[in-house]
Amino acid sequence: MQDRITQLFKAIADPTRRDIFHALVITSSALSITQIANQFEISRQGVTKHIKTLEEAGLIYFDTKGRQRLCYANATPLKELSKWIRHYEQFWDDSLDGLGNYLDN
Amino acid sequence: MKDTITTAKVFNHPIDKVWNAISKGEEISTWFLKADFKAEKGYQYTFSSEPNEKGCTSIHGIVKEATPYVLVYTWIVADTEVETTVTWILESVAEGTKLYLKHSGISNYAGDTAIAMFESFSGGWTGCINQLTDYLK
Repeated sequence: MQDRITQLFKAIADPTRRDIFHALVITSSALSITQIANQFEISRQGVTKHIKTLEEAGLIYFDTKGRQRLCYANATPLKELSKWIRHYEQFWDDSLDGLGNYLDN
Repeated sequence: MKDTITTAKVFNHPIDKVWNAISKGEEISTWFLKADFKAEKGYQYTFSSEPNEKGCTSIHGIVKEATPYVLVYTWIVADTEVETTVTWILESVAEGTKLYLKHSGISNYAGDTAIAMFESFSGGWTGCINQLTDYLK
């Protein structure tokens, strides 16, 4: 559990990785490492490293189609993060309700 | 991933009353968290709550701006050392006062600190919120 969350935060802490993930989400189809590298003007080696981090966090997975190894986005782990952010949102909403009650009394 | 939480709420009260409620230590202590707070730029404030069995977290930071009706302070939870920023902006509207609340820098919670945060939020923090909600009833 802890390891997974660490990996998740590590994965999304880097802006390039967020962009790569985002690109995979919005193309809503699989991309090869070469296609990703072309989009981001970074070395194939660099992309491979980022992809590996994203894969470890469960944010992407690979599938082999014919000769090509394709990369897919998986947004499910982010639900855990958004759950966490919702805690904060809830906290502020509750707090402002409290402020409202305080002002009314 | 969004980096900022924003929320807004209209209060049927004059702007100065709302401003006092969010900027005066004794008032903050009544509706929010027990506060050692002064609306002075550079003031190091602390928000704390009564510890419970889950161990409530405290919050501290520095007031960055405090001129009516804009209040900005950094927000550091317990010993995480992760700095986020909370901004309160008040605006007079026909119905009273509109409050905008912005909490930014959420993505600064990264790596190891995130785990501490996550744990404090899924455990202690929720406890603190419940405590606060009960208190306000």
